[in-house]
Amino acid sequence: MGRTKKEMDLLAASAAKKKRKGKIEFLYILPFILLVAVFSYYPLWGWVYAFFDYKPPFPLEWKNFVGLKWFKSMFENEVKIKQLLGVIRNTFAMSGISLLFSWFPMIFAVFLNEIKCVPFKKFVQTVTTLPKFISWILVYSIVFSVFSSTGAVNQVLQDLKLIDQPKLFLQSADNVYFTQWLWLTWKEAGWAAIMYIAAITGIDEELIEAARIDGASRMQIIRHITLPSILPTYFVLLMLNLANFLSNGMEQYYVFQNAFNKDKIQVLDLYVYNLAFGGGGYSLSTAISILKSIISLTLLGVTNKVSKLIRGEGFI
Amino acid sequence: MKKVIALLLALTLVIGCLAACDKKDEPSNNTSGDNNTTNNTSDSNSSNTPASEKEELTIEIYDKAANYQGMQEGWFAQVVKERFNIKLNIIAPQVAGDAIYQTRVSTGNLGDIVILDQNEFTDCLSQGLIKDITNEYKNTKYLKEFDKQIMTFNNGIPGNTDGKVYGFPTEMTNTSPTDRSEDTIYSSPMLRWDLYQELGAPEIKDLQGLLDVLKQMKDAHPTTAEGDPCYPFVLWGDWDNNDNMLGIANVVQLTTWYGDKIKETAILQKDGTFTPVTDKNGTYYKMLKFLNDAYQMGLVDPDSATQDWNNVWAKMCNGQMYLMWYSWQVGAWNSQERINNGTAYIFVPVMDQTYYADADAFFGSGRIWGVGSGVDGEKYQRIMEFLDWYASPESLNFQHAGIEGYNYKKLDNGKFEVIAENETADADNKEITGVAYTGKYNDGNNKINQWIVGAVSKNPNTGEGYAKGYWQSYKDATSGKTKQEWKARFGAAEPVEWMKKNNKILISPNVSVSLPSDTADIEVKRGQCKQEIKDASWRMIFASDDASFDAMWDEMVNNLNAFGFQELYDFDVKRAKIEKEAKDAVK
Repeated sequence: MGRTKKEMDLLAASAAKKKRKGKIEFLYILPFILLVAVFSYYPLWGWVYAFFDYKPPFPLEWKNFVGLKWFKSMFENEVKIKQLLGVIRNTFAMSGISLLFSWFPMIFAVFLNEIKCVPFKKFVQTVTTLPKFISWILVYSIVFSVFSSTGAVNQVLQDLKLIDQPKLFLQSADNVYFTQWLWLTWKEAGWAAIMYIAAITGIDEELIEAARIDGASRMQIIRHITLPSILPTYFVLLMLNLANFLSNGMEQYYVFQNAFNKDKIQVLDLYVYNLAFGGGGYSLSTAISILKSIISLTLLGVTNKVSKLIRGEGFI
Repeated sequence: MKKVIALLLALTLVIGCLAACDKKDEPSNNTSGDNNTTNNTSDSNSSNTPASEKEELTIEIYDKAANYQGMQEGWFAQVVKERFNIKLNIIAPQVAGDAIYQTRVSTGNLGDIVILDQNEFTDCLSQGLIKDITNEYKNTKYLKEFDKQIMTFNNGIPGNTDGKVYGFPTEMTNTSPTDRSEDTIYSSPMLRWDLYQELGAPEIKDLQGLLDVLKQMKDAHPTTAEGDPCYPFVLWGDWDNNDNMLGIANVVQLTTWYGDKIKETAILQKDGTFTPVTDKNGTYYKMLKFLNDAYQMGLVDPDSATQDWNNVWAKMCNGQMYLMWYSWQVGAWNSQERINNGTAYIFVPVMDQTYYADADAFFGSGRIWGVGSGVDGEKYQRIMEFLDWYASPESLNFQHAGIEGYNYKKLDNGKFEVIAENETADADNKEITGVAYTGKYNDGNNKINQWIVGAVSKNPNTGEGYAKGYWQSYKDATSGKTKQEWKARFGAAEPVEWMKKNNKILISPNVSVSLPSDTADIEVKRGQCKQEIKDASWRMIFASDDASFDAMWDEMVNNLNAFGFQELYDFDVKRAKIEKEAKDAVK
């Protein structure tokens, strides 16, 4: 038996209402879609520069269309390939070391949490968090006054008669990766630890109480309760870092770079910057950053696969 | 309620985005057409009103020469304000980085006043970013005095066949395009006279002789009286690859000691031929090796590659540098007192050298002043008034000599004399006292750092140049020990006089030519080659022995060839030949 007309009308009205509601609900996410569109997709339009001979102030014109010329020029000869490979090696090395030591802020947070004297604990936390808010250029001016040939370190070493000629720390290409990691850690470790401290506060007190009653030592509590509880946080942060593997920023390396360490310190982002703004190679550097995006995507895909194989689930 | 908020949020976001993406004023391609009307209407109401009654106006100056970015402060700001009620906002690509050029040209508004390199100027002009100032220029008083120079430049702009005026060169002079009226040249070896005397003022035959003298100086005086370490060579890298100098700016300067002039990748040699900078028999190699020899002898400041200009300036003021090679460097040290007690820096000839020197910049020093095409109406009027004043003797005194009554005073014969106690006001950044202006001297000094008229020009009111170095009174006041002993030793009153007498100077005439700018392709090659030369050169200075120096040189040349050096060199030679022919025609 068919529905009455009234029922039909009601149904239609509720469907229309639902539809309207759906439309309004769509507006809720509209701002975010716009945000992504404007800041993540619209800039992709800039990729067109890679296919033109571009030089400011002249606008893009079809007569300057060069196709894949800039991509080809990257691999034109041995020297260029060597340079590009060197840059990629540096990027991988810097990011690799950061990843390798990514547990450091976690351990730092765990030990910080063990400090019982609250004022001291707060002091350490403030002092380690503060560098995060100092710009790299200021960091470098501090570094320069400490490590230059007449800086504090050389003064002390010379006074102690350990060396007779000042040692040129800033000019040396030795251990660049490691020293750069040290600076990065000095600047970021305190900040990164905040996330872990929050995770530690979230651990159920009863668990620790129980362990203590069972006679667990401090180390045992750390090993069997604290660490396992914050490990998920660690993995999430690790994944986020992995996604940024190729983008290790440029400010830090920009201020520390000089002719002597450039072969080691020039990472992809810095290379793109130096090419574009140091030498007017806007088109070429756009081409390189496109390449960077492609490598990043590939890396993401690979990690996802690996994650699926190991943990049984991917993260995209 | 929530829906309303969400809607509002979405709306604000859209509007925000649109506002952010909105283009600024469209680049107005209109040239002279409508200027006439605006000029005439604004003429009547702006020229005759006193500055204080005019509305305060802020002018943006896109300034290729500035080392300072931001509002002009201090005494020079006060000078401009009391005359024009104008504030100067300086945009400095040297501070902000070259990216700012790209961003600003793409918005179509580079600045109200622009100071650009000649190539950039021509590029911007072709894109409608520069205003046609023909009509307003005709009404100027002081700029018009340089009509010959300004018209030579403008008529040389490609495509400007009907004699329009778009800009005027920087640092023009009213002297001669073929002679050098200064007593010193831009780059020559200068030693501390007392230290040189101490060694018995030996004749220096060649670069090796110079190194030996410097070595003895350093051995005798390893530190200043306060115990700061001294080095003959204190280098810095801030200017590398700038101002059409490829490689290390310091090395490029040193090549002029052998009569050569580096034009990007090409060396224009004494005999008029070109050779690439990569030539092992060329002067770039020679001077780089000279610095490396100095390093191997322990004469180079170990911080040279990592310190910046400010560190170096402090060291120069402190007397920690035994060899100077830029004429302005002596300003950090030579005061009347030091010149007169024999401790000043002064040119000491190296006998196998012939010095390259530019003639007075009669036709300008290479950069160009212009007005942005977006400027109109009363603002335009006031900018032109300001620019005309900027070329006036009154303004030039402020720019080149400082404040009357503080830096100098007028003598009875109308000429100027330096007030000795404030001579170091700039170097010491002294607090200004006793005059109408306030603040610290250096903080308030003219941060535009570029002039329409050069300091060597003759001031029509005094008959002397604008800067103190050209005043008879100053020459008299600084004729003490250093100068007298120098004269006795070398038999000439001033360095240039000595050079001319001994045929040791090559004066390159000043010409105005329009040169083609880089194509995108050449620009990339240039960028990569420059970077390679600069980095390799620094490593070479610090090479521990000759073998590794040569190995680095060969590697550099190999890399350069891979980056397309040959093509770049051909381009540069072609460009430099245009200029050379113009110069040969004047000679």
